[in-house]
Amino acid sequence: MSLKERFRLSRFISGEQATDEPIILTHRRIFILPTYRGVNFAILTALLLLIAFVYNNNLVYLLAFLLASIFFITILHSYKALAGLELQKGQTKAVFAGEAAGFAIYIDNPVNVERFNLQIKLEQPESLTIKPQSKTCVTLYSLTKKRGWHTAGTITLSSTYPLGLFRVWSPVRFTLKALVYPKPSLQELPFPETPSAQAKQGFSQKGVDDFYGLKEYLPGDSIKQIHWKAFAKGLGLFSKQYGGDSSAEIWLDYENAPGHNTEERLSQLCRWVIDAEHIGIAYGFSLPGLKLLPDTGISHSRKCLEALALF
Amino acid sequence: MNSDPNKSILIFLLASIGLIAFPHSKNIPIPLFAFFYLLLSWRFIGIWKQNWLPNKLTLFFLTVCGLVLIYSQHHGLLGRDAGTRLFVTALGLKLLEIKSERELYLITYLAFIVAASQFLYQQSLLMAAYILFVCCVLLATLVCINSSKPQPFAALKTAGIILLQAIPMAVVLFILFPRIEAPKWMFFNEPHQAKAGLSDSMEPGSISDLGMSDELVFRVKFTKDLPPPSQRYWRGPVLSYTDGKKWTQIKDLRFKQFLDKPVFSGSPYQYTLLMEPQNKNWVFALEMPADYALPLSQNANYQLMTSESPDKRTEYKIISYLNYNTGFITRTEYKDATQLPNPPSDKIKQLVKQLHGFDSTPDAFIKQLLTHFRQEDFHYTLTPPLMEENPIETFLFETRYGFCSHYAAAFVYLMRVANIPARVVTGYQGGEWNKVGNFLEIRQADAHAWAEVWLENKGWVRFDPTAAIAPERIERNINIDQLMPGGIISFAPTGAAAQTAFNWLKQTRQLWSNIDYNWQRWVINYDNKNQSSFLSSLGITDIKAMIYWMIGSIGLITALLSWLLLYQKQQAIDPVLRIYNRFCKKLAKRGLPKGQCEGAKDFAERIKITLPEQAAAID
Repeated sequence: MSLKERFRLSRFISGEQATDEPIILTHRRIFILPTYRGVNFAILTALLLLIAFVYNNNLVYLLAFLLASIFFITILHSYKALAGLELQKGQTKAVFAGEAAGFAIYIDNPVNVERFNLQIKLEQPESLTIKPQSKTCVTLYSLTKKRGWHTAGTITLSSTYPLGLFRVWSPVRFTLKALVYPKPSLQELPFPETPSAQAKQGFSQKGVDDFYGLKEYLPGDSIKQIHWKAFAKGLGLFSKQYGGDSSAEIWLDYENAPGHNTEERLSQLCRWVIDAEHIGIAYGFSLPGLKLLPDTGISHSRKCLEALALF
Repeated sequence: MNSDPNKSILIFLLASIGLIAFPHSKNIPIPLFAFFYLLLSWRFIGIWKQNWLPNKLTLFFLTVCGLVLIYSQHHGLLGRDAGTRLFVTALGLKLLEIKSERELYLITYLAFIVAASQFLYQQSLLMAAYILFVCCVLLATLVCINSSKPQPFAALKTAGIILLQAIPMAVVLFILFPRIEAPKWMFFNEPHQAKAGLSDSMEPGSISDLGMSDELVFRVKFTKDLPPPSQRYWRGPVLSYTDGKKWTQIKDLRFKQFLDKPVFSGSPYQYTLLMEPQNKNWVFALEMPADYALPLSQNANYQLMTSESPDKRTEYKIISYLNYNTGFITRTEYKDATQLPNPPSDKIKQLVKQLHGFDSTPDAFIKQLLTHFRQEDFHYTLTPPLMEENPIETFLFETRYGFCSHYAAAFVYLMRVANIPARVVTGYQGGEWNKVGNFLEIRQADAHAWAEVWLENKGWVRFDPTAAIAPERIERNINIDQLMPGGIISFAPTGAAAQTAFNWLKQTRQLWSNIDYNWQRWVINYDNKNQSSFLSSLGITDIKAMIYWMIGSIGLITALLSWLLLYQKQQAIDPVLRIYNRFCKKLAKRGLPKGQCEGAKDFAERIKITLPEQAAAID
């Protein structure tokens, strides 16, 4: 690390450059500052010194010095609260915009000391204790707003152990990103009529007509399709499934998607992809510059959603 | 963070606060003390019965109560007593409104101040150890607050470790931190507790029971030789004036300027005298003090006084000689030393005549008188009968039971009847030798009175009539531990069987006294004077060097501690893993780093291929 980098102020808050490698917390990455309580403790020590001075009392001097050295030594102990921990990035899952993306972080405590009361924070702080020589995994959530790649910001691991006089923290950044799909439109629209050459059998507007079964509710399902009666009976959330011919093919085309702007169109397309996947009909997918032949299955839908997310 | 503090944290905190305030029972008035413990127990119950805790109105009422209590017991607004009361009451009230962590911290800090205030009252080693323990509990409370799951014993251990690690640095700071005397206006004068010490008058007939207190008065450390036990007289006030019953000091000591210059001979005794806090400014030097430094001064009766406040432990360096000649007697001295309240009675004249007081030399008369005391039926006792009327006559002819004051008073009186200048000297005699620490301990029980007679060509000469009756009293100390109330004094040694057990007891006591002496000398009494003399013996002379040394030693301790903490961590790794890590490092140096997602086995296979000659070693 160059000298200039070393003295960059942002290292204190946002950490060093993002990395894929596991990060071991060392003196380079760990920062310590007294907390408000620590400052008050220093004031208490000064007060005791004053009492000792006024009364010329050696034992009060001794007590004040003891507190001062405790204050000083706590710096080392605070450092020890974080030092040596090994952080490693884990898996992330794609989410729909508006949902919280979860980033898994593995924290390894390779030494024989228990780590009490660590705080790990991305957006919401979470506290954890790591047993000696053990590994834990925490999932940190970050709320997404827009489709596309959502990068996890700085993850801050901090602790006030043992006395709460100092806060020791270490900001780390991993190349962690979650794919965010567009938010599925809430509008219940029929699948588009496809005047495409490939749709030889014509479009079938069966999506809403023929009821053929129930499926467990999945996020993105239309509220209208929820089997409310079953829900009222306490059986759980089910979506009614419509459509007759599972071999039917539809084309989901950007050009045909309704909406005032790109985002609305993408959102509608997203909705259709989910619905089509639920129903189980084969669907082709077309965006400007991309065409996917009709197919069905998770990998197909993921391809479509990824295309939508990154469009 | 946590809106409702954890139960075990609260129990911990309350227990430590109960411990901290406890020794204050002697220092703060009972109503306030009771009020504090009432609040504490209320809060204790509140741990389980949340809704029993006071609401805002009750709390306000309690605060008013506390203020009224402080006011009703008030001793001014500033100073040690008032401050302690205020802090204790504030601590008690604050306990009832613990809502968040912030309050827990505030309470802990207040508790530290209350702990420190204990030292303003008592500075013994035991108290220091107690406060250290309580501080450990307080720190453990902080550890508990900062752990997600409080474990009291683990927290105590952590706090103990931190405390232990902090001690070396605290000691370095203690030794090297520059001590500056606080300016006088900052001192808050406290009414000093009256201590029963040697008094400035003596009235032997009116005392039927001499209080024998074990309390330490001063300690003496000799640089070289010790004076023989029979010569250890520590000079206090000289009582020349008597009204027949009571002996008092002469008020007018202006004759000092006319005194002859004393001549000393023999070997000098150099010693350090450590006075315990007193309420009188007397310093009891070995007879006869020849050399002393400020703030000491000598009055016309050769008694040393200090010009500083005697309520602090102070060290003096004095040189004394056992052989001295005070030279001629001044006219005032002669008048005072032959003063009699009334003409002596016939009985007394008869006695003096019988002992050749009127027709022989003073030396011969003194000899006769001491023989008389020895041969007649005189007894030494600490519980003599009361002699209200004519105490001297009653003592000489009727009761014949008495202690040093009786003998000294009678002796001086008879001398004066024979027109020989004499006076009573009070002070201490003897002292217990502490083998462990090599110093003499002089206690209240060593208080003594003897006589001083002015003789031609010799000056003032000491005579101890008590020695004629009970020479053991002078040779050995009174054995206070074995004193039977009302009995006649027995002097050690006694039965052999009891002696071994007693010796053992005595040894532990001496050991403890030695520890205490060193504690007083090096810790409590470590002021700027002691500091500069101690540091200059280490070669640190000015404040600059002090600061350099302080920074240097703190740096050294920090380095040591960090090494200790980090080294422990290295050790904690599994030994096999450590060897493996070393192996990987070596390979990496040779350009064969272990891949990120490569297991140990695959890695070994790959290495074996690239380094076939090492294959066997790798396996």
